[in-house]
Amino acid sequence: MSESVAADSATLPAEAEPDWQRLHPATLALAIVRLGPRSLNFLPAVAAIGIAGKWIYAIPALLAFLLFSLLAAWLKWLRFRFAVGTDEVVIESGILSRQHRTIPFDRIQDVSIEQGLIARALGIAKVGFETGAGGAGKENEANLDAIGLEAAQALRTTIRGHRSAPVAAAPAAAAVEGEAAPPAADEDKLLFAMGPRQLVVAGLFNFSLAALAVVGAGMQFFDNLLPFNVFDPRDWVDIAETYGLDQWVVAHRWVAGVGALISLLFIGFVSGIATMAFANWDFRLTREPRSLRRTRGLTTRTDVAIPVRRVQAAILVTGWFRKRFGWHELRLQSLASDGGKEKDHQVVPFAQLADIDPVLAEIAIARAAEDTDWQHSHRIVALGGFVGAVGATIGGLTAVSFGQPLGWLGPVIGVLIALASLFGARFHRWIDLGDRVAIRRGMWKPKTTLLPHASVQSADLKTDFILRPLGLGTLVFGVPGGSSLASHEIPAIPLGVAQELRRRILTAKARA
Amino acid sequence: MTDIAAAHPTDPFDAGALNASEGLDPVDPAYAHVLRITTAMNLVPIAIGASVFDALLIRHLEGPYGLITLLAWFIAIFVIVSFPARRMQRWGYKIGEGQLRVARGWLFRTDTIVPFVRVQHIDVGQGPVERWFGLSHLIVHTSGTHNSTVTLPGLPADLAAAMRETIRRHIQTDFA
Repeated sequence: MSESVAADSATLPAEAEPDWQRLHPATLALAIVRLGPRSLNFLPAVAAIGIAGKWIYAIPALLAFLLFSLLAAWLKWLRFRFAVGTDEVVIESGILSRQHRTIPFDRIQDVSIEQGLIARALGIAKVGFETGAGGAGKENEANLDAIGLEAAQALRTTIRGHRSAPVAAAPAAAAVEGEAAPPAADEDKLLFAMGPRQLVVAGLFNFSLAALAVVGAGMQFFDNLLPFNVFDPRDWVDIAETYGLDQWVVAHRWVAGVGALISLLFIGFVSGIATMAFANWDFRLTREPRSLRRTRGLTTRTDVAIPVRRVQAAILVTGWFRKRFGWHELRLQSLASDGGKEKDHQVVPFAQLADIDPVLAEIAIARAAEDTDWQHSHRIVALGGFVGAVGATIGGLTAVSFGQPLGWLGPVIGVLIALASLFGARFHRWIDLGDRVAIRRGMWKPKTTLLPHASVQSADLKTDFILRPLGLGTLVFGVPGGSSLASHEIPAIPLGVAQELRRRILTAKARA
Repeated sequence: MTDIAAAHPTDPFDAGALNASEGLDPVDPAYAHVLRITTAMNLVPIAIGASVFDALLIRHLEGPYGLITLLAWFIAIFVIVSFPARRMQRWGYKIGEGQLRVARGWLFRTDTIVPFVRVQHIDVGQGPVERWFGLSHLIVHTSGTHNSTVTLPGLPADLAAAMRETIRRHIQTDFA
């Protein structure tokens, strides 16, 4: 349906010269204002002239700089043009190297209108097109900086109108909507909630010694304030002597050890419970007609709606210890256009799998069955760890050869790293479940990613000089949303298997 | 054709066979010149800098004057002369049924497939050096966080424009 529409209209703008428009001339005024901060860069040069005592040249140099900048801004404005077609926006830019960018309306998720203080005074606005194209840097964001406010609003109305029109018109699209309709009947169904008791349990598992580092750092800081060093036992002995405690402490030395341990544990548990309680107080996850809605927080309460159709992948995270008790955390990767800092949406912070399954059912991404026959990555994935281990060993032995006995720690740590990576390599597993892939990794912090085929936008098959002789390849998937650091990949699987899997995944239909 | 496909494992020094065995089209050979000029623009200033450093400092210190200059220019010229052609040959692409495939590199080879329906928008760009040789590069944007842009350099300008039109016809809605 929409394909034929695109094909029909595609012939039109290609022949007919589009109606080119320029940015609002007031943009030039904005460029002048921006010159203010930029001319600060010029200060060192001015200072140099001043030091040289040649003040006569300062003014002409500054004027030349201003003139040049203005000329550049004007040229940039002159060479930037855009056209709004029937179903696409075309932007041409660049003074020397030209860029020609085409953005179909279909792909524009949202149109943002942004106005700074000066822009408001000038009656212009910056229009940003949210296309969902990866979050890699500002230069990939298409925007018009800036056009008149009314033109901007008109443009937004045009694009939004285009987006809603095919859905209302096409019966096929209506059927797709129909699938999402049944949950709409029982509105605002509560999917998951956390009471105080659950928060405490979750907090206990949230035990972290990270807080101890903070406390330790704080103590270090207070060292200079206190009249004695907290970490120096001799100071403690001095204090004990003055208070007559020394006899007792020396006689019962173990008491001090136990006391220290208990206070460590106490700090760890309390900090764990506190962070959990502050973040997830009165946690509620509800199903609304089109989205999952999450409210939580004690001091800063947040209310986030995650459109179900924008969910790209589900990620189950657990820990080696809490896994024994069946506790898991569920995160959803979605097209995060809500402007939040959070890239993955934590929808279930801490629950048994039985409580997580209903949430997964709402987004139609089921877990792999318990008795799944997981496929393993090749052991070669441990190689990175081995390289690190060899590095640590060499470093340590070098230190030893220079007469530093502490250097023996190097080989010991090296062996530990090597063993851990060899053991950890067994935990790289994956399985294709028909319409989704499950990827599991990590021994210390097991993480299972459920990635629907339809979410995959592109797939890389990477080989290098180590994997190639072994006939292996690494599959890396491009999935919308999420952070660029945590990409989805299946490392070191046989090339043939990888190619076949990639073919199957990329031919999948889009998710309804 | 068949004997090339049979020649597996591929000879790492015959890049033409590599592309052919993977069913990929080579990029325009003129792209090697583009690479060569851009590499030269990066390396020649460095070599000049090394020469200046050599002349000003090493000679002043009465060290082995001339060694650094010679080495810098030798490496620069070697890299400029020999590598670009090979790097050009490692690039391959294929416009298949509804998908664009781009492969690059040898030591670390990456073979990317982007289905046309997943393309968000398309750029055709041309730098000054590329314009000199009548080449363009095609940049395909997807909504994935990884691989949000896939670049294919070394295309004749008219071919790049034609590819853009081909891909554009396939772009369709699938997001709400």
